[in-house]
Amino acid sequence: MNSINKLSINKKNTHWLKFLIGGIVFLLLLFILNLFVSPVRNSFLTLFSPIQKTFWAAGESSSGFFGSLLNSGSLAKENNNLKQTNQNLLAQIAVLQSIEQGNQAQSLVSASCQNSGFKLLMAGVTGLDDNDILSISKGSADGVAQDMPVINQQNVLVGKVSKVYKNFSKITLISNKNSVTNIKVQQSDLTLPEIDGVVRGNGGLTAHLDLIPINSSINPGDILVTSSLDKSFPKDLLVAQITEKIKNDQKPFQQAKINLFFDVKKADNLFVITNYKKPE
Amino acid sequence: MFCFFALLQNSFFTYFNLFGGVPNLIFALFFLLIFFANQNSAIQVVLWAVVAGFFLDIFSYSFIAPSIILLVVLGLIIKKIQSTLKTRDDNYPAVYYVPLFVFSFLAYALIISIYLNYIEVRKIAFVFSFNIIFSLIYSLIFAELFFYIYKRWLKSIR
Repeated sequence: MNSINKLSINKKNTHWLKFLIGGIVFLLLLFILNLFVSPVRNSFLTLFSPIQKTFWAAGESSSGFFGSLLNSGSLAKENNNLKQTNQNLLAQIAVLQSIEQGNQAQSLVSASCQNSGFKLLMAGVTGLDDNDILSISKGSADGVAQDMPVINQQNVLVGKVSKVYKNFSKITLISNKNSVTNIKVQQSDLTLPEIDGVVRGNGGLTAHLDLIPINSSINPGDILVTSSLDKSFPKDLLVAQITEKIKNDQKPFQQAKINLFFDVKKADNLFVITNYKKPE
Repeated sequence: MFCFFALLQNSFFTYFNLFGGVPNLIFALFFLLIFFANQNSAIQVVLWAVVAGFFLDIFSYSFIAPSIILLVVLGLIIKKIQSTLKTRDDNYPAVYYVPLFVFSFLAYALIISIYLNYIEVRKIAFVFSFNIIFSLIYSLIFAELFFYIYKRWLKSIR
């Protein structure tokens, strides 16, 4: 009886030993695979990039199709055009207000430098994961480097390059949960002092406004642009519009719901600012 | 199939997101294969977890490992739970499918979100944002669809 018991314990031990060895080998293999993670990921995504681009385009056209069906006709397209025009106008207002606020001559020079001095690299969007990370079709071979700001054609801030591979890059959107962007609220009255705050990503392509001083007046409809405090991005890039104030007397700062100007569904092509230098 | 779904969910379904949530087709397919896998075949569970986890990780910006390890663990737990819920006439009833899927999906989404976003434990409510809930609902629709297609296919070949 004793020998049978011993035999079964031995069998159990051998089973656990096998399981342990298997586990260690498995983890070791994963570790080795991760030594080559960049080339593996680069070749995989380069290989499937044309298919992914086709799916992306199919999604865009079919969503447009269903959208226009739901909106009876060309409303979706018209709305899209109006939004783009609106964003262009808002971008112009942002630049104009910045010019008026400071020393006019100096601002004019800096604004023109900001608008024309940047070297932009156009990149096609190939995918988006559920952590608000976009993939673009340009990588280190095209001159993309980590932390470069990314905008769209309307000067709307998209995010920054977080990982670069040879032929493609990953962009962390400003809606990513780890993303915090310094902004200022565009004031309609230029005599009022600048209101600074931050835009924090919520994930799911949304974000909220935070750290607005309690005594500052913010209103739905106010426009948020990047501030000079944020050295990661050029100033005066469009970020979002306030939709609703969140009132909480117990908090030392104000918060607000915002609508990001960047719309991933209209992000066929983005622009990487390749020569932006962080101010000292 | 996993590769096709990976490409689809990272591009096509981005345009059809439900309040920021997109369906996790890879997870839905992985769960289906695990649910119908042989009760005593741990190797089969590990194999599907490696394939599914690889495609989940390759499209993320992290290392290639967290999803693989997590899916192996979840796969083995699902099989363990299934073995305790085993019925005589039907080993794979739909009534177990939905709660098991919801449990495993939330466990996966929560742990991977904590890992990818370096979120502290006290901010756990923040992790459970609405887009995870919508992603769950969206994925569940596909998982159910896969379930009935697979069951019908199983019936037809028997």
